Amino acid sequence: MVTMSLDPVQLMSGQVSELKVASSSNGNSRGLWEEKEEFDREHLGLPAKPKPPKPENAVTIAVSSRVLFRTEREQKVFEQKGVEEYLRYQIEHENEPFAPGPAFPFVKALETVNARLRDLYPQSEELFDIVLVTYNHAHVGIRLINTINHHNLFIERFCMTGGSSPIGYLKAWQTNLYLSADADKVREALAEGIAAATMFMSEKITEVSEYQLRVAFDGDAVLFSDESERIFKAHGLDKFFEHERENEDTLLDHGPLKGFLEVLGKLQKKFYAKGQRLDCPIRTYLVTARSAASSGIRALKTLRAWGLEIDEALFLAGAPKGPMLEKIRPHIFFDDQMFHVEGAAEMGTIAAHVPYGIAQNHNPKQNASVGK
Amino acid sequence: MCWFSFSLQKDADHAVVIAVTSRAVFGSGADDDEVYGEGLAFPLLQALQRVNEHLLMNNPAELLLFDIVLLTTDSQQQQQSPRIISSTRHYGLEVGRFCFSSEEDFVENLLKNNVQLFLSTDRNEASQATQRGVLSALLDHQTASCPSEQLKVLFFGDAVIQPDTGPTPPSRQAARSFSAQLGEMQRRFTMSDSPLSIGLVTWRGGRDSCADALHTLRSRGVRVDEAYCLAEAPWGPILSVFRPHFLLSDGFGGLEG
Repeated sequence: MVTMSLDPVQLMSGQVSELKVASSSNGNSRGLWEEKEEFDREHLGLPAKPKPPKPENAVTIAVSSRVLFRTEREQKVFEQKGVEEYLRYQIEHENEPFAPGPAFPFVKALETVNARLRDLYPQSEELFDIVLVTYNHAHVGIRLINTINHHNLFIERFCMTGGSSPIGYLKAWQTNLYLSADADKVREALAEGIAAATMFMSEKITEVSEYQLRVAFDGDAVLFSDESERIFKAHGLDKFFEHERENEDTLLDHGPLKGFLEVLGKLQKKFYAKGQRLDCPIRTYLVTARSAASSGIRALKTLRAWGLEIDEALFLAGAPKGPMLEKIRPHIFFDDQMFHVEGAAEMGTIAAHVPYGIAQNHNPKQNASVGK
Repeated sequence: MCWFSFSLQKDADHAVVIAVTSRAVFGSGADDDEVYGEGLAFPLLQALQRVNEHLLMNNPAELLLFDIVLLTTDSQQQQQSPRIISSTRHYGLEVGRFCFSSEEDFVENLLKNNVQLFLSTDRNEASQATQRGVLSALLDHQTASCPSEQLKVLFFGDAVIQPDTGPTPPSRQAARSFSAQLGEMQRRFTMSDSPLSIGLVTWRGGRDSCADALHTLRSRGVRVDEAYCLAEAPWGPILSVFRPHFLLSDGFGGLEG
């Protein structure tokens, strides 16, 4: 009865492999559980539910409950009436699903990409794995699961830590991107080397594509380090231009979201390999205040040296990013400056703040976009 | 054979009797002439005691308390019985009963003493107890030993939701009533001052399995503080972050066979 005795102590001491049936010839090990579940589903006439990929093979995207769904009303109950009342409220409303939050379109787009990847590579585990990581108390768990079911999302893994830090889990699951409503948690993740950004609910959201995942990145302090921004902040625009010109052939150092762009690129190449370059369901954008003729060159050279492709590079030479983003309609736009994040959100773009680098020491409302 | 510590007797109708082996609490050797060194389950015992202290602080007439039985099956330690008793006194451990048994008949002892949870570092002992219907948990270095303000209990949800096929095994009944009692203790406290922290982890299956387990525990009156649905992702981080004092797999399936 080996497969039935999921002895937690055996699992804890890493003997899980003993419980699995030997690998089949294509290299994937299929436990008896998996075959049994498929039998059950076939028996009931249901299509087989795909199993979540192993964390080490997948691109792990961790989202918190407050960015995946809209929870403002509940937040208010928590702030005004305390935790006990908040939990009572959640349980009372357990069968009312939450409405979609700012990260929802992004997650839906990830699932679209997964569907396309599964079509082309049915045995591969190189997929997006979306996990819900929340500081919420487990009491809210049933409502969250009901909501996931209601919206038909494919989320099978989650952590509800009841208040303690989930950083350990984020690291163990090799999280490639963490999205949260709480800037402190995001900063904590960034400090541990995990790409992370803060998302906000905005009232205006323009429609985004259902067929193509679009991810837009700012350059400095997002894809690249904040070294050039430091020069600009300390010595002004002229010094910045001079510095960039002199260092044109020196690569910029990497920023917190370089790794995420990298994994997107790897998935894109899987589509190209099957002749699907033109209708690839992933598209990436660089939206930077650098200018094409001068300071932008260093950015492009750096990307090229890193072996990273970006589908569209938009050098705004200091012009506002809002209108350009409104045309692109990304599912998510990463910027280190709140000024740009807010500007984008005002025009309906889903923007996420990366609290990294020198820009964080400045008042976000300052006009910091003049000719970078 | 059991020796009762008169002053520490609990109300038999309401107390939650937990038996721990002295091998788990003190390790297997004497560290000095008078007193044993602290073993793996030492922090666990202290955490159980802290729960009692909090319960009594809230209500000095509280009857729902942990009643700790120290069971010695190790023949070497049995010869040192006075040292066991003086060691518990030395560390201020509130042990209600000291029981000495052989490996052959210790389960009888557990049953006679109405033990509701048996904790041991010995897999065979835990397995034997389970087979006779006593809820048991195996302690090892990944559990038990974390010093903590709260008693931390982790439910392994895969066992909690196993479908009922046929009569309920006695160990499963024991698991249900033990968890109901934990739930009862939790209700004595608000969330911010609870000396108990209860977690749930499901490994097999996805979110629906976890939802089932949450519903099941709720129906037993247990308030789950933290929940982890792994869908076969690695266990390790859960244990090293949650640091449970013991893991309950519902006394069914896991330790048998």
